[in-house]
Amino acid sequence: MAARTLPKTDVVIVGAGWTGLAVAKELSAEGQRCVILERGDYRHDAENFGGPEEHDELKYARHKGHMIDTPTKTLSFRNNTSETALPMRRLGSFLPGKGLGGAGIHWNGQLWRPLPSDLNMRTHYTERYGAEILDGMQVQDYGVSYEELEPHFDFFERVCGTAGQAGNVNGEQNDAGNIFEGPRSSEYPNPPMKHSPPQKIFRDTAASMGYHPFPMPSANVTAPYENPYGAQLHPCTYCGFCERFGCGYFAKADPIICIYDTFAEEDPIEIRYRSHVLRVEKSEDGQTATGVTYLDQNGEEVFQPADTVCLNSYALWNVHLMLVSGLGTPYDPETGEGTVGRNYAYQTIAAAGVFFNDEVWSNPFMGAGAMGMTIDDFNGDNFDHTDLGFVGGGYISANQTNGRPINYQPTPPGTPSWGAEWKQAVRENYLHHIGIVCHGSSMPVQGNYLDLDPTYTDDYGQPLLRMTFNFPENDRRMSEYLVGKAEEIARNMDNVRAVSTVNRAAEGDNYSIVPYQTTHNTGGAVMGTDPSTSVVNRYGQMWDHHNVFVFGACLFPQNLGYNPTGPLMGLAYWTIDALKNDYLQNPRPLMDA
Amino acid sequence: MRLTTKSVLLGLPVLFGAALAAPAQDMSEAPRVNELEARLNVDSTLFNATIDEEPSDDMLELGRLVAMGGAENGGSGMACVTCHGANGQGDGAGVFPRLAGLPGWYMYKQLEDYAEGTRPNRIMTGIAQRLTEDEREAVASYYAVVEAPWPGPQAAAPISGDQLQWGGQLAAVGSAEQGIPGCVNCHGPNGTGNPPSVPYLAGQYAEYMSHQLQLWREGTRQNDAMGVMETIASKMTDEDMRAVSAYYARVRPGLESVTPPAPMDDGEVAEIETETSDLLSDVD
Ligand SMILES: Cc1cc2nc3c(=O)[nH]c(=O)nc-3n(C[C@H](O)[C@H](O)[C@H](O)COP(=O)(O)OP(=O)(O)OC[C@H]3O[C@@H](n4cnc5c(N)ncnc54)[C@H](O)[C@@H]3O)c2cc1C
Ligand code: HEC
Ligand code: HEC
Repeated sequence: MAARTLPKTDVVIVGAGWTGLAVAKELSAEGQRCVILERGDYRHDAENFGGPEEHDELKYARHKGHMIDTPTKTLSFRNNTSETALPMRRLGSFLPGKGLGGAGIHWNGQLWRPLPSDLNMRTHYTERYGAEILDGMQVQDYGVSYEELEPHFDFFERVCGTAGQAGNVNGEQNDAGNIFEGPRSSEYPNPPMKHSPPQKIFRDTAASMGYHPFPMPSANVTAPYENPYGAQLHPCTYCGFCERFGCGYFAKADPIICIYDTFAEEDPIEIRYRSHVLRVEKSEDGQTATGVTYLDQNGEEVFQPADTVCLNSYALWNVHLMLVSGLGTPYDPETGEGTVGRNYAYQTIAAAGVFFNDEVWSNPFMGAGAMGMTIDDFNGDNFDHTDLGFVGGGYISANQTNGRPINYQPTPPGTPSWGAEWKQAVRENYLHHIGIVCHGSSMPVQGNYLDLDPTYTDDYGQPLLRMTFNFPENDRRMSEYLVGKAEEIARNMDNVRAVSTVNRAAEGDNYSIVPYQTTHNTGGAVMGTDPSTSVVNRYGQMWDHHNVFVFGACLFPQNLGYNPTGPLMGLAYWTIDALKNDYLQNPRPLMDA
Repeated sequence: MRLTTKSVLLGLPVLFGAALAAPAQDMSEAPRVNELEARLNVDSTLFNATIDEEPSDDMLELGRLVAMGGAENGGSGMACVTCHGANGQGDGAGVFPRLAGLPGWYMYKQLEDYAEGTRPNRIMTGIAQRLTEDEREAVASYYAVVEAPWPGPQAAAPISGDQLQWGGQLAAVGSAEQGIPGCVNCHGPNGTGNPPSVPYLAGQYAEYMSHQLQLWREGTRQNDAMGVMETIASKMTDEDMRAVSAYYARVRPGLESVTPPAPMDDGEVAEIETETSDLLSDVD
């Protein structure tokens, strides 16, 4: 037990990212005293993310200035249970954040909602194709429906001032938007982003092939905007420094400007920085949590008692905290029993690179994190999966996010990787290239999971989280299919000189944690209606400890074809709603086990 | 014949009392076209002056001519030099902005915006409307290339140390409390601008700058493509505007000084001078 016990608070929140700040904002409005423990530092868009200092590609994109320090905090990794996991000593495949705003500071702002059928995936596929199509996969329903979540997706889109074109408002379809999306209750709060010539060519070509292109929904705001909390966002200048950077322009929606800045002096919220939570403490009977123990900024171990504990420390670290605290039952891949760490999944990424002749200019230095022209024809179950040999899918999107000097050096296939010829190719292609990304789903299988490493410990003496993951055959077939479609569109575009492809989930290759793919780690503490296959119930409340609420992508039973933040914030506001309108008046399990 | 502002101003309708007190602008300050061309050997100057394509000597000549008051539609009515000076120095009272070294594309766009009414101004709107497309482009390139002395920090109106400090802070990091992004984000590290679209603030007149911020806040100036300045100004108090403008007025303008080669006496320049003086006599 900790050396010092602090006065009790109503709610303790672990982590000051998107989910943690939303919980504090909403629960403090109900009069709940909220203490947020954040292991990183205070920072602010105005003071800390201003150009031109922030536009330092070496410091932030290459040396990853805003992300976790692996010598302090990391995980170990292996592809399968027959291997010995080794610590990840350098960041690569995913880039978790630290400090006020969490990873919501250095995200891109591609802001999606799930498809209605993503949320009841097992039921939906079973009805349409028969249960066998899911054989060998631990696909599950979320236990909450699109209709139930819709108001919360809508609210978060307004918190971010999302720029987009609706494809379905209250059942009325609009071809200019995504006709596959579930019915939304309102239009996007801001008009879509502007697009470059290659994106317009992608749009026209995709449409001529019978697909349904639309502008990617974007949290890079397109007009002066005031969000429901009163925060004022500024229009994006297309500077091309979104992912891996903070936005000093107040134009990329982030947790600091959209939520933190709207905390009033009198709100009962306290944020403690450099406070690293070590574990959640349990009551003697184990039924509830009593609070959390953390290392304060002086390195002293202190206990913060609380009535309600909210885990908002990012998908991976939520699972780690549960495992080191003995919350729930750890998953055992041999027997398939236990739930904490089960259904870890990731995201498949493949792409087609399109090289135009001198007729088509992309000018890639004008870009934005969510400046994309997208088709959703091959996402989720928007297309017939009969005889395809896989389930799931992804969106295909011509994205123009940046043209930064170190990393953006597109060269057509066959170019040497260095020397005069390479330089010549970069010169010729830099202004005439666009990437078409295939952003695909990932299905849970028995052997992919998270647990504690038996050998390695972190700076705090705790065992590392151990990740065991390889892309399931299903995902590889799906990714191959998607990149084939992207390549076909690319080849149909005019003025194209060459097309290259890359597939991070290719058949025969192991998943590698070295090249960046996405920070879309999902599962490990999934939600559902059956305590034998989920850690939390449909409200995000732990089955085993009713005063512990869990937030983030760890709740996803399997990963969607979309980026996670829109979906996970919809779930966060849904859980907050259950806390505000039910649980806090009468703390108890909200569902019978 | 040597023209001075005084002689030109005689013919101006009395629109602006303060302007008449402007220091005399000496037309002989107008650099010759070959001097200007020489400056284009510096990449940054060339980039700064390029609007649609790189400025040719013909274009610079036309620009110089327009600045002197010569324009197709009987002249703009008022030579730019009367108010902005031949070298784009503007006017110390801060009524007439400094144009020297502003991005050509930015100035061209301003002329379009004045003419179209998204930046309405009782002096500049009429002037811009009378210029042809080519003349707007040419005069914008011309002022993008010229260099003007900077009156220095002592020329700016006095301000308290605290206010100056606050202005510097707004410039560098904005205000987290008020949700104002630092000006350096777009106007460059020392406020020296970010061509082609973002003007410099360093060395611009304080009165002019704070007036522009007010025009944005009240919705009169609505010409910024994304609406960023409107949003920023809406979060600023009068005090903020004064402070940040006073700060930037004291920052040295950034254009690298390019030493022009000794003027070549090839007769060309002299000709322009004659032409110009002819045209200017229309104004009288
Ligand atoms: C490069 C990049 C690009 C991305 N782009 C997109 C995108 O375009 N679209 C999209 O939808 N999503 C995107 N994401 C994902 C998005 O950032 C996350 O989904 C989102 O930030 C998750 O919010 P969170 O609140 O769950 O966690 P986070 O935002 O990660 O916040 C967790 C916080 O908890 C703190 N913390 C962790 N452990 C502890 C502890 N033990 N004690 C105290 N504090 C702790 C961390 O320091 C951190 O501040 C991107 C992510 C990255 C890294
Ligand atoms: C009678 C005085 C006068 C004359 C003559 C004049 N200007 Fe101006 N100019 C002004 C004033 C005053 C402003 C500021 C107006 C405002 O508030 O927008 C201005 C603003 C400008 C601006 C905007 C500068 C900036 O930083 O945004 C440009 C460009 C400009 N003038 C170009 C010209 C050109 C080119 C000519 C000649 C064709 C010209 N002006 C003639 C008075 C004058
Ligand atoms: C997001 C980018 C951005 C930021 C941040 C920004 N500006 Fe600007 N600013 C612009 C652009 C673009 C223009 C030109 C608009 C136009 O086309 O007329 C401009 C023009 C101006 C002008 C007019 C200059 C002239 O010559 O007429 C002033 C004054 C100004 N800004 C002041 C500021 C101040 C003060 C700040 C900081 C508090 C600031 N700006 C921050 C982008 C920005």
